Amino acid sequence: MIHLTNVTKEFDGKRKVRALDRVDLHIAKGEMVSLVGPSGSGKSTLLNLIGTLDKPTSGEIVLDGQKLSGLADDDLTRVRRDKIGFIFQFFNLLPSLSCLENVALPLHLRGWKRAKARDRASELLDLVGLGKRMDHLPDELSGGERQRVAIARALSVYPPILLADEPTGNLDTHTGAEVLSLVRDIHSRLGATVLMVTHDRSVAASCSRTITLRDGCVVGDGTA
Amino acid sequence: MMLLRLITWPYVRKHLLRCVLTTAGIVLGVAVFVGMHTANQSVLYAFSRTVDRIAGTTQLQVSAGETGFPEDVLDRVQAHPDVRVAVPVIEAAVQTGIQGQGNLLVLGVDMTGDRALRDYDLDNADEAIVDDPLVFIAQPDSIIVSRQFTERTGLKLNDKLTMQTMQGPRRFTIRGVMKGDGLASAFGGNLAIMDIYAAQMVFGRDRSFDRIDLAVREGVKVEDAQRSLQAALGPGLQVDPPSSRGKQFEAVSRIYSLNANVTSLFALFIGLFLIYNTFSIAVTQRRSEIGILRALGASRGQVQRLFLIESGIAGLFGSILGILLGVFLARGLAVYVGSFFGEVYGVVERAQEVSAKPSLLVFALLIGIATSLIAGWIPARSAGQVDPVKALQKGRVQVISEGENRVRRWTALAMLAAAIGCVFLGHSSFFFYTGYMLSVVAVLLLTPALCTWLTNLLRNPLKWLRPVEGALAADSLLQSPRRTSGTVAALALSVALVIGLGGIAKASYETIREWADNALNPDFFITSSESITQRSFRFPPSLGDELRKVEGVDEVQAVRTARIIYKDTPVMLVAADIESISRRVKMHVIEGDAATMYPRVARGEGVVLSDNFALMRKVHAGDVLELLSPTGPVRMPVLGVVTDYSDQQGTILMDRRVFIRNWRDDTINAFRVYLKPGMDREAMRQKLQNEFGGRTRLFVMTNTELKQFIERVTDQWFGLTYVQIIVAVLVSILGIVNTLTVSITDRKRELGVLQAVGGLRNQIRHTIWMEAISIGVLGLAIGFALGAVHLYYILDVAKRDLAGFRLAYRYPVEIAAVLVPVMLGSALFSGIWPAESAVRGSLVEALEYE
Repeated sequence: MIHLTNVTKEFDGKRKVRALDRVDLHIAKGEMVSLVGPSGSGKSTLLNLIGTLDKPTSGEIVLDGQKLSGLADDDLTRVRRDKIGFIFQFFNLLPSLSCLENVALPLHLRGWKRAKARDRASELLDLVGLGKRMDHLPDELSGGERQRVAIARALSVYPPILLADEPTGNLDTHTGAEVLSLVRDIHSRLGATVLMVTHDRSVAASCSRTITLRDGCVVGDGTA
Repeated sequence: MMLLRLITWPYVRKHLLRCVLTTAGIVLGVAVFVGMHTANQSVLYAFSRTVDRIAGTTQLQVSAGETGFPEDVLDRVQAHPDVRVAVPVIEAAVQTGIQGQGNLLVLGVDMTGDRALRDYDLDNADEAIVDDPLVFIAQPDSIIVSRQFTERTGLKLNDKLTMQTMQGPRRFTIRGVMKGDGLASAFGGNLAIMDIYAAQMVFGRDRSFDRIDLAVREGVKVEDAQRSLQAALGPGLQVDPPSSRGKQFEAVSRIYSLNANVTSLFALFIGLFLIYNTFSIAVTQRRSEIGILRALGASRGQVQRLFLIESGIAGLFGSILGILLGVFLARGLAVYVGSFFGEVYGVVERAQEVSAKPSLLVFALLIGIATSLIAGWIPARSAGQVDPVKALQKGRVQVISEGENRVRRWTALAMLAAAIGCVFLGHSSFFFYTGYMLSVVAVLLLTPALCTWLTNLLRNPLKWLRPVEGALAADSLLQSPRRTSGTVAALALSVALVIGLGGIAKASYETIREWADNALNPDFFITSSESITQRSFRFPPSLGDELRKVEGVDEVQAVRTARIIYKDTPVMLVAADIESISRRVKMHVIEGDAATMYPRVARGEGVVLSDNFALMRKVHAGDVLELLSPTGPVRMPVLGVVTDYSDQQGTILMDRRVFIRNWRDDTINAFRVYLKPGMDREAMRQKLQNEFGGRTRLFVMTNTELKQFIERVTDQWFGLTYVQIIVAVLVSILGIVNTLTVSITDRKRELGVLQAVGGLRNQIRHTIWMEAISIGVLGLAIGFALGAVHLYYILDVAKRDLAGFRLAYRYPVEIAAVLVPVMLGSALFSGIWPAESAVRGSLVEALEYE
């Protein structure tokens, strides 16, 4: 499902920083993988490259059989919107849109009819347990609830790949556990490939496979 | 200072473009203020310098407005015990016909005594002629010109210079060339001296002088001499120091100055909203910075002062840039203003040097800084009130609280009610201007609520156009009412300014055209100058008799126009054959009875006033005017008030026989000529030109040409209005660019999220474009409404305090229709760059942006 071959990412600044150094990685369809490592090890950079938010300096990334190299920005966006769902640490919900509108947003961007998008969004909000809070604005929800909305949004097009960047990093332990349980539940029910960046050992332990990065290199790759 | 260096400077460096855009409103406001006033002052200063230089050592001048006075007044002045020397003067501007040289100011003087007051400082002269005035006088074709003039024209001593005189073209011989910076440099060096009696003939003055220049005896105080001479001459003649002529010119051009003030004030007002808007957004964006400062021990006052100092610095830089730009603009404007004054007021002047008064620059600097400080005050106060705990929480959006909004709404409604009350309370200036101010402020206070309401209305059409982008654009506007409403207010003010000016222009054009069609109905206007506003040359009355005898001419009306002083203000006196005019012209009568008033005026029993004269000086039919003539005060009852747009200062219409009797002047400025039915106009024009043009200076202007001239003068006047409109549109475009640039930065993360969840670049672009167009729509909608109110008030301002012109309320629908594509196009154009910057940035950075 996700293939990285010799992927390197360098950032140009006052001095050049190599965030990823010739990374080779293969994640099979339906796997639930955690990505761990100290700060600055390249976890988020790797997630951004797989999520097509950024482009590698060299190397090849293949998602669901599609090579990313050479694709224009709009083509990358199409890959992203058809194949990838994102869950961010700080939720990144649009504050002026209701829960329902936030979840339906990716569907509208794909040109879905209003009614169809609303049906799908309310179905997903039911799935994450927020069926009764559809018309609330993000500011009216707790942190855990906001992350649930973000998860529902990530799932809106039933993407084959779900990428989560510290999904519990901004939540208390109890809420974090609930969100994690929801992700696991979705993974098992929808069969999506999940790649989750985390600092939390217990979160990593809940995944079937853990990849460890250090200084931009994969230094560990083990199954639970 | 430390906070400025540590906190403000890095922010300015990071947001340099925004800071530049923020100060642009102040730059333009100050530039317009400095530019227009400097140009105006330069022309006025040039006029005063000309007066000073021509005056020489003259201490007092005796005059009777523009009308002149009989020669015998000179004997009375010279005989006065306080007068050491008194010399007569005739002053007139003539066209030399030399390409690019413009007008030549000709001074007719009495060479035998004049050098006691004026130093000709001759560089080059036929000494025998100039040293012996009698020889100079004996050769009436003698003139003296300045060295600057000879250098510019390539003429030299004893060369001939042809001038159009009342006796037709005449060749004059240059018998002297003046050097130096004194008299020779007056009127930009375009000065010529000739003998007074030659000047009387050349300019058709008959046996009258324009004024007398004098010096008082040693030991006599000038003020005492002025009082004593004034008493001796009576009130019909004015005895004033030379500097008072500059003051009269200033009074004449007062409307222009007021117009310049209104434009700059509006530009500054719009700039105020831009600064307010940007600083409000900056406070929102820098709330975490403010939170950190507060957490580290900065007091509310320190934070507030920091933002106030920032706005003061923005004002300082904006003002300095505005002053530089204004001085630069003034160079071009001075030429325009000079020709404009010549066309509109008949006062010809060349501004050679354009330099701004230090006091004007200091004032511009202060109002620029003050505007910026006023604009920054509310955001600075908000910054001081930021709660450090909340400020340090991520992801919170600051919006105007419902409570604050409610207070604004109620305040605005109360102000509107008070403004309506003021309309009914009476016509006093206090209630009028209070009502005007209250209504503008009320609409501006209502802007946030109106924005929310109108955006909610717009949301569905936008969504219909583009379901996602439309909804996002509308939501973005709703999400930040403060950001949106600041720009919309600035835009609405610009639109209102344009509607107001456009409405005035439309009403003026229509009303003046209507009046011109009615009042200016003769076939020909025969004038002694190229321009009808120039009154240097005058015809003898005998020309009228000759014109009447021409085959094909039905009727000839002689008209004498002159500016006279009425209660210290120059006004226009029109002396004409009232019986004939009232038969031919049906003027719109505002006060009085047309059937009885014209016959009475024709019998010399009173005068008719123009509406603007009556309005500005609060005179009505039945009142008595005391006019000052060289023979003494003339008391004339006001028999009626009519619509007349001949002069911005107002006109007094009297029968010419009254004028001849009291002013002892039968010369004529223009003849109104009616042809017999069926006559070929062009053939008649040629005939008149051929018959009279060879022996007298004469211009035959057709009815159409005169109306075109009036149209051109009106165009020139509204040329300033177009400058105002351009400034207003420019400032509002800057406002939209500013808001959208800030909005994009403000929503960097949000736009990143949109792209992360599948938004294509075009979808993001369309969202921002729709947002820009929506701001345009909001600004237009509110601006059109505010414009309707603004127009109501400025029409009244024009009537009561500017020119006294009663202009009909006509909403400029055509201008509003033009504004729609212009403003929406500008809004869309303003959105292009911010949209591109939004889609071209790094997505990863955008998602991490806080």
